[in-house]
Amino acid sequence: MGVFVFRRLLQGILVLLLVSAFTFFLVNLAPGGPSAAVSLERTAAEREALYRQYGLDKPVAVRYMQWLSGVVRGDLGTSLTQGLPVSGLLWQRLGNTLQLALTALVLTALLGVTLGVVAAVTQNRLPDHLISSVATLGMSVPGFWLGIVSIILFSVKLGWLPSSGVASVGQSFSLLDRAQHLVMPASVLAFTLLPNVVRVARSAMLEVLSSDYVRTAKAKGLPNRAVLLKHTFKNALVPVIAILGLITTVLFSGSVVIESVFSWPGLGRLAIEAANGRDYPVILGVTLVAGTIVVVVNLLVDVLYAAVDPRISYD
Amino acid sequence: MTSAVAAPPVRRGRFWRKVRRHPVGVAAFAVLCLLYLTVIAGPLLYPVSPEATDPLNILAAPGGAHPLGTDELGRDITARLIYGGRISLSVGLLSMLVGLTLGLVVGGTAGYFRGRVEGVLMRLVDVFMAIPSFFLLLVIVTVFGSHPLTIIVTVGLGFWAQMARVVYAEFSSYRGRDFIEAMHSLGASHLRIMVRHILPQVVPQAVVLATLGVGWAILSEAALSYIGLGIQPPLASWGNMLQNAQAYLYVNPMLAIYPGLCIAVAVLVFNLTGNALRDILDPRA
Repeated sequence: MGVFVFRRLLQGILVLLLVSAFTFFLVNLAPGGPSAAVSLERTAAEREALYRQYGLDKPVAVRYMQWLSGVVRGDLGTSLTQGLPVSGLLWQRLGNTLQLALTALVLTALLGVTLGVVAAVTQNRLPDHLISSVATLGMSVPGFWLGIVSIILFSVKLGWLPSSGVASVGQSFSLLDRAQHLVMPASVLAFTLLPNVVRVARSAMLEVLSSDYVRTAKAKGLPNRAVLLKHTFKNALVPVIAILGLITTVLFSGSVVIESVFSWPGLGRLAIEAANGRDYPVILGVTLVAGTIVVVVNLLVDVLYAAVDPRISYD
Repeated sequence: MTSAVAAPPVRRGRFWRKVRRHPVGVAAFAVLCLLYLTVIAGPLLYPVSPEATDPLNILAAPGGAHPLGTDELGRDITARLIYGGRISLSVGLLSMLVGLTLGLVVGGTAGYFRGRVEGVLMRLVDVFMAIPSFFLLLVIVTVFGSHPLTIIVTVGLGFWAQMARVVYAEFSSYRGRDFIEAMHSLGASHLRIMVRHILPQVVPQAVVLATLGVGWAILSEAALSYIGLGIQPPLASWGNMLQNAQAYLYVNPMLAIYPGLCIAVAVLVFNLTGNALRDILDPRA
């Protein structure tokens, strides 16, 4: 196990290195890169001074190595538009994004598994058809539009929930206020991820339900509940854990847009602001952080696998 | 891989019999064709400019001269939906083609050849799978700007890695099979074996994935345009119509409803068609 985790860790670091190199060179070699961004409306002398200030007079490979050695020490450079250290900006926003993403993930997992199990148990009957239809519909509705529609419904028409931000401005911290702000974005984000989880949970349950040992368990007269909970559900969890790992990638992509709909000050909004302002150090930083989270989650999923399914061992 | 058993070619009669068992899929496909016909022929049937403003009728309610009302500049919503649909639906289709082509070439090459080619190409696929696709879109759009062509290629790039994995798995299952060796000894080139003999086996899966991919691409374009980094105004797309609409939720919430409905319907029919195709074409599903 230890060896396996170590190997996967090395692999993950390699992937992250490739991700960072890819984005860094893409950003720096493109015609609209940083050198173009700092050259707008400047005299030749000013341009040269700026080039030197940002180190743009050096070759790209050298700059990449410098940037990388900074990253290792926790220094991700300085934001071009805000003049603040990128790591500080990321740190500020990371908490908000994690709060949103984790809430959505928990909601998706609980709801998705429940609905998937219900669909499997009532296979080809009304509840199954209903759940499958809603899942197909959920895959087709743009998450950000769902966000706008729920703002229209719950904020504009009914006035129940606030439409934006993490907390009411000018109020002291209150858990209720926070929860009220969180509920809509987290639910919308969860709903967009739900269909995948429902499908996987359903088909995993169906597969286990049709296996020999479940038939045996039923044949020896175990009550339905015991068969479902002790024999089926536990074994159907393995593929569900796998999909939850895959979903984190989608989750962070989705949160970019959802954060934008609800003016949620997280990493996604930071990325969009940076993209609009051509703030390259910030863009690189956000991509690196998002990539790191994905790699770490996938590693965790592999470890969880082994914990849930004793047949899997990595030695 | 169970795919070692080559799928028997679906015979014509059986294909249609299978199609008849999927009325939802057929209906979805019909709606899909209707959507494309509407946006292609729409301007002929409804000759109103999507960019002409009607300053006296700003944010007008549906009815009268403007069947679905007007937006904040007095532009006709119906016309903008039709022209926006042109953009959104063609970006969806073309992005899918970009992703499909890249996925087939990279996945096929990596699956057919072993060794270093395989290693390098599949690591590249891993990298693309590790970056949340939307961040990748942001990076590329930041660097290359928001020209519609850039958007098409970028959205396609968010989709190709998945396609490459599927094609790779399929191609590598044919490695070392007797008929490949036989082809080789008869003097067939690698390219000929790949295109004429392995590619047809991948077509069912690729078609299904590509159909679902168009839906995904339409969603991505809409999201990009919604946050202001996709199709730029005055050009209309369903996504950027939503961006403008959010500012007028209190005045005219319907502005935000129509484009979203269009996106949802378009993506839904692609998904339903894709699901039906999976049942019809894929012998293993």
